[in-house]
Amino acid sequence: MTSTLPAATTPTVPAQRPRAPKIVPNAHPVLRFRSSRSDLILCAVLLAAILVVQGWNIAAYPTLSDDEGTYLAQAWAVQQGKGLAHYTYWYDHPPLGWIQIAVLTWIPAHFSPSLMTVGSMRVAMLLISAISAVLVYILARRLSLPQWAAGLAMLLFGLSPLSVVLQREIFLDNIAVMWTLLAFCLAASPSRHLWHHFGAGIAAAAAVLTKETMLVILPALMVTMWRHSHRDTRKFALTGAVTACVLIGLAYPLFALLKGELLPGSGHVSLWDGITYQMSRPGSGFILDRGTGSYGVLQSWLYYDRVLPLGGLAGALLLLVTWRWSVTARALAGPALTVAILALVALRPSGYLPAMYVIQALPFLALVLAGGTASVAHAVLRRWRRDEERTYVTWGRRGLAAVLVVAAGAYVVPRWYDGDRTAVTADANASYRAASSWLKTEVKDPKDTRVLVDDALWLDLVHDGYRPGLGVIWFYKADLDPAVTKTMPRGWKDLDYVVASPTVRRDAVDLPNVKAAIEHSTPVATFGKGEDRIEIRRIETVGGSR
Amino acid sequence: MLTSVFIAAVSLALFWMAAFTLWWQMHAWRTPEVLASTRFSSPDGGESLSFSLLLPARHEQAVLDHTIQRLLESSHTDFEIIVIVGHDDPETTAVARAAEERDPRVRVVVDHHEKKNKPKAMNTALPHCRGDVVGVFDAEDQVHPELLAHVDHAFRTTDADVVQGGVQLINFHSSWYSLRNCLEYFFWFRSRLHLHAQKGFIPLGGNTVFVRTKVLREADGWDPNCLAEDCDLGVRLSSVGKKVVVAYDSDMVTREETPGSLMSLMKQRTRWNQGFLQVYRKKDWKQLPSFGQRLLARYTLMTPYLQAVSGVVIPLNVAIALFLDVPVGVAFITFLPAVTALVTFVFELVGLHDFGKQYGLRVRFIHYLKLIVGGPFYQVLLAGAAVRAVWREQRGRNDWELTSHVGAHLTEVIREDVPA
Repeated sequence: MTSTLPAATTPTVPAQRPRAPKIVPNAHPVLRFRSSRSDLILCAVLLAAILVVQGWNIAAYPTLSDDEGTYLAQAWAVQQGKGLAHYTYWYDHPPLGWIQIAVLTWIPAHFSPSLMTVGSMRVAMLLISAISAVLVYILARRLSLPQWAAGLAMLLFGLSPLSVVLQREIFLDNIAVMWTLLAFCLAASPSRHLWHHFGAGIAAAAAVLTKETMLVILPALMVTMWRHSHRDTRKFALTGAVTACVLIGLAYPLFALLKGELLPGSGHVSLWDGITYQMSRPGSGFILDRGTGSYGVLQSWLYYDRVLPLGGLAGALLLLVTWRWSVTARALAGPALTVAILALVALRPSGYLPAMYVIQALPFLALVLAGGTASVAHAVLRRWRRDEERTYVTWGRRGLAAVLVVAAGAYVVPRWYDGDRTAVTADANASYRAASSWLKTEVKDPKDTRVLVDDALWLDLVHDGYRPGLGVIWFYKADLDPAVTKTMPRGWKDLDYVVASPTVRRDAVDLPNVKAAIEHSTPVATFGKGEDRIEIRRIETVGGSR
Repeated sequence: MLTSVFIAAVSLALFWMAAFTLWWQMHAWRTPEVLASTRFSSPDGGESLSFSLLLPARHEQAVLDHTIQRLLESSHTDFEIIVIVGHDDPETTAVARAAEERDPRVRVVVDHHEKKNKPKAMNTALPHCRGDVVGVFDAEDQVHPELLAHVDHAFRTTDADVVQGGVQLINFHSSWYSLRNCLEYFFWFRSRLHLHAQKGFIPLGGNTVFVRTKVLREADGWDPNCLAEDCDLGVRLSSVGKKVVVAYDSDMVTREETPGSLMSLMKQRTRWNQGFLQVYRKKDWKQLPSFGQRLLARYTLMTPYLQAVSGVVIPLNVAIALFLDVPVGVAFITFLPAVTALVTFVFELVGLHDFGKQYGLRVRFIHYLKLIVGGPFYQVLLAGAAVRAVWREQRGRNDWELTSHVGAHLTEVIREDVPA
């Protein structure tokens, strides 16, 4: 038997030499999540609650979004071996996100291909939400929050009506958030293992390759890693993490290079063009200016929940201000910094602010809000407390804490109850389902019928026998994809139907072919009322050449 | 299709090889606790062991006296120095005898072998050792005065049979290859060797190695026919379950210098590689109890050859990925070994920085640059040494007499190869 010298912690070999590295003991005993029964039980109970609320009625609420359709259809294309998209992949986003969706939905789609529609495949997102929620708990514990605060963070993250709505949807951001949380958990690994930090770099790269906007969070990840690494091994850990992240991240340009699509050129798409497009998207205005697009997006978030976004911002502010005095504030430096960065990016006066932007902030808002709560709880119950404190002061502290808990509960619970009740009962997609079934049953010859639809409905029609790509067409491809317009020499006259959903009507303004198709058609079936109605319109061709 | 499968298989094999090597190379820095455990612990003041320090010296009249004087300055109270000189080397013998006159702790043993080499010299001295522990140093080593006290303490507290101290090449600024050579030693003694000790299979270094006299005599000393007698001893001892402890302390390492020329580095490396191959073929490592240990042994002893192969194949692989028409997925796989190589490069840069900090040496930007630019060339050198070793070993197998002739040639090689 052979071994290295026993560690300095072994009683027989005391580390007394002055130059020997001092192992700084963690402020808290090392948490081993797997072997802590109370943590496991608490986490499991909360997870069950979150899964019930997020999973119940998942297909019917919220309204199917165009983006969900896009990503799922591209995942379907990956599964079918059609490349990274069923239309030309043009480097709009790195493809890792829907490759993961493809893997996640592979088995159910294999046994029942018709399950591959937005409504039914939202179930896959439950798995992502579950992993993210558990990671939030683990991260909170690793950032030395007490059990109750970690549980609070998990609840805020999983049950806020805003989270429930957004995490149900098949958005790349949700998957990217999972990777980011994993990166943070590994960065805050209690064993300070070199390869955990290396793994954090890989997870961060996976997050960025899933959704490129995660790039802005990386400095906060670095701060977390710095705080959680040891002086003696830090330089190896940090360079390792950065190297891993960069090398994995370079896979994307390498992919473009291997396909000969790194730089622009005639006759092919390129990564460069994709990036240029994303960077030059027209801004949606200053977020605090009434009437701008960004302001509308902000209001749409606050419509679902004010507690998590505003409370989280306040929490981040509190932690950053009390940095000098509060241990909790320093422990939560990473999440607080993340919130600050994301808030600053959202405040760009002329940037583009998509509706899913807030998704990447949700776990960190939850963490800093829980951390801020823990900080306040500590201040109320423990601060300036002496050993022989008078009984009435102790009871005063407890009373104050109770009042605060009741007040917070009274504010939050009714609002969240309403929001989450809507989420588990409302049916926002009835008209989509009706439209889908009309197109399945009423159209005689789907194989030879050409329909413009939005992305959310596209896969339904593919399963109903329409030809993917040129038979059932993503409506904007009729104007933007040369490969599609080529097959429509007579423009709208070469089409049979257009399914005018709110998205189609909204975007048709800038798409001549789609606009013409709507103008030269009459509704044959209408589902729903008012702004949200879905019309199936048949193209009127004079003389009926088709 | 077949090309793709072949390329993918080769790439994956290379990737795992490089990944494992990297994993082991970084052993000491895995966690702060592991790093702390690689050091000597502080001696408690007690002493219970006596040492016999072997000092084989051949044509070393210039440095020998200084080395002996420095050894005599050791703070430990119970040791003897046995200088081993050749019967055909009167100059060195004179220096040794003079030291013997001055201090009763110094003794001289004369080696009368016709063909001389280091293991034979040390075997000659082994019966004369009176101490509980035999230690080996080279004639030009700079040994720290506190080392023996630390080793004594390590023996007592860990119940070890063997203690291997650190050896470090210092003159990184001398040339591009000495920079890489120094860093190789740094990663080997600072990190990798500890992993070997922990796994129970360890090729020992050539000096600053301490073995209990009883254990060494039971093992019949060193193998006089092996070109890497130090590695062989380690393999034999660890294979029968002897406990080996490794400790590295930047204060306490034995400092050495890199070989003086590229050619002598090449020769030294050839000898080691050939020695590793001999140890591999002696099959002592097959007695290791667990499959994992045997795998580690196999892999470690074959490393020079794997290194040679990977040095050639990795660039070839990348070229194939870029210029040959293979599917994108396969092309990605061909990049995997290159990615690991890049990670290794980065860790070497950080290692160089740490090396500078540990030894209070000023590492300049140009050194980092040399490290990177020199990397591929060093790889070529290693590959050359590996090929040369295989070729020599092939010749040697046909004619064992010839190898003993190589042994005679070794006296010169030993002179060159300061370490090991």
